[in-house]
Amino acid sequence: MGEVNRRQFLERMTALSATAAMAPQTLANLPSRSGSRVGARRTALRPFSLPDVHIPQAADPADLTVVEAATALRRGELSAVELVEACLERIERWDGQYQAFNLVREEAALEHARAADASSSRGPLAGIPLAIKDNYFTAGVPTTANSFIFEGFTPDFDATAWARLRDAGAILLGKTQMGPLATTAATTPTGERTTVNAWAPHSDDVSPGGSSSGSATAVASRMAASSTGTQTGGSITNPSNAQGLTGIKPTMGRVSLHGILPLTYTRDHPGPLARDAVDAAAMLTAMAGPDPADPRSLGLPAVPDYLAAVRPVDRAGAPALRRPLRLGVLPGFLDDPEPPPETPPEDETPDADRVGSALPPPDRSQTRYRRDLATVRARRVLLRTLEELGADVIEVEFPADWSTLTSFNFNNVRLPERSEIFLEHLRDDVRKFGVSLSPWINGLLLSGAEYVRGQRARLILLRSILEDVFSRVDVVTQTAPFPFDMVGLPLVAFPIGFEAESAGSPLPIGGTFGAEPYAEDRLLELAAAYQRVTDWHRRQPADPDALRDVGETGDNRSGSRGDVRSRGRRLDLFDVMEQGQ
Amino acid sequence: MPEPHAASSGGAQAVDLTDEELDAYISTRLTLLGVDLTVLPEDEEDAPADQRRIMASARRFLRSTPAAIADYALDPLGPPPTIYPAEVHAWNHE
Repeated sequence: MGEVNRRQFLERMTALSATAAMAPQTLANLPSRSGSRVGARRTALRPFSLPDVHIPQAADPADLTVVEAATALRRGELSAVELVEACLERIERWDGQYQAFNLVREEAALEHARAADASSSRGPLAGIPLAIKDNYFTAGVPTTANSFIFEGFTPDFDATAWARLRDAGAILLGKTQMGPLATTAATTPTGERTTVNAWAPHSDDVSPGGSSSGSATAVASRMAASSTGTQTGGSITNPSNAQGLTGIKPTMGRVSLHGILPLTYTRDHPGPLARDAVDAAAMLTAMAGPDPADPRSLGLPAVPDYLAAVRPVDRAGAPALRRPLRLGVLPGFLDDPEPPPETPPEDETPDADRVGSALPPPDRSQTRYRRDLATVRARRVLLRTLEELGADVIEVEFPADWSTLTSFNFNNVRLPERSEIFLEHLRDDVRKFGVSLSPWINGLLLSGAEYVRGQRARLILLRSILEDVFSRVDVVTQTAPFPFDMVGLPLVAFPIGFEAESAGSPLPIGGTFGAEPYAEDRLLELAAAYQRVTDWHRRQPADPDALRDVGETGDNRSGSRGDVRSRGRRLDLFDVMEQGQ
Repeated sequence: MPEPHAASSGGAQAVDLTDEELDAYISTRLTLLGVDLTVLPEDEEDAPADQRRIMASARRFLRSTPAAIADYALDPLGPPPTIYPAEVHAWNHE
């Protein structure tokens, strides 16, 4: 084990000193001020270029991936104005149903597109319209995190991750719906559900995934080319899996958190939600890298060439993985689900005393069983496909103390962080937290001793993952949303199949893999090679009018864009505790 | 160096504490921090949050999480607290 070198040490200390020298700031008074109290100093975007790719004969420019659209723009076969107009037309027509956006910048986006078309110096993402999660600061554009706390707040600088995308030429199309303060699937602050899953836009029973719900729906429905999200407990990978997207949750520190409203200090991770692995690589290339304004991003291994990682490789005339890959399979990944009981259990009325106690009881319905069965079948095919691409599939055991250290109780160690971040608001008026209040209160009840022990346990968990798993394999399957979030390890999520039985219309099935610290390139290699020989990622959900007969539940079936309305079903405290990140 | 291990619980069992005892702890703790739950409705199912449900959630949280963490005994000379484990690993393996 080597020592941290002097250069890295000095970089980190310089950044920490700079942070300490900033004017005192809390989230308490952000909404009442628009002034920046944090300098927007950051490392310049590293130059990169996107590959030229085949452009499919798309009927609609909005159907193009980021890299396809960028190719068409460079060749002059498409203008940025045409691309932005195509997205805006879809938003105008469909977002009343999807409710993916809570703010759309029609005129500003078109103005930016006109400037991109007129400019001779183009960034790699010039003219690409993106949807940005509403907890990213966007200069001059309201940033609310769907919370009463930030109603009316307009920052005057850009979050570093968005600023890098902007510097690469991307266009801010709009801000997306999210769980209040990045907790659950998207709702209003009082818990009324908003965003729907693009694959089942008329069904309240099919989750869009959260908390980056709007970011996922915007991309899956072709209202934006790609989007950004944040993940503290599954909030990029879950909506990506739910909506057939490729999402990357990078390692802690790989993408700066500066200018992103925090849910925790130690588990928040910004990353992209994209249509495929190549787009995810393009987005992450722009977003990643050191940022003096975020000490967590300094002193880390150099950012790998993600675009090289997704470049196609053939061996013996057939698609192959770029490098030899040992693929670990954890217990349970291929286990058949337990059939549901012959007599359906009576509906349980939630017991108020159960709230916050533990993970919810397993869903034993026929619907869940069918979906779980289809998932296991898709996983078997996935592993066979990856073997054909050259992966060495290896069964691995859970690391030592896995069930204890990844349990609901140890996951709760994150809660005091959110309580501290928002303490002034809790002291001011707890009603500002709407339906999300409970975990904030619970976080105030853990002592420093438990918090410190939880932090010590995280290092033990990481060591056991590294020694017991990553000494044997390069990437490993995942079946739970948050263990790798607890220790900051990278994840990729991508579609591995579809099933149509549980909801009456095709729904994506997702797979998720994790890797060692800062090995996002390994994950992208795997996803890109898999997507060369499969087409799940190319499938697109039908527009809402074509799905009108599927899952129709009655009310709230129409509306105009920007009119964020209740869907008649509310998340309550039970849902928040059980689904929240 | 001794390895960390899960230990059996010692002392009082949190699950045996009465609602009244836990309510007193919760209220005292929130008062110490200046957080006031009485601005919420006492018991209103349609409200986004009410005192009854928030207190019930807090009681259940206290009956499970602190004891589970305390039960995971660690060697005092074992690993120091690390809030960014992936980064610490990277900083030491460059």
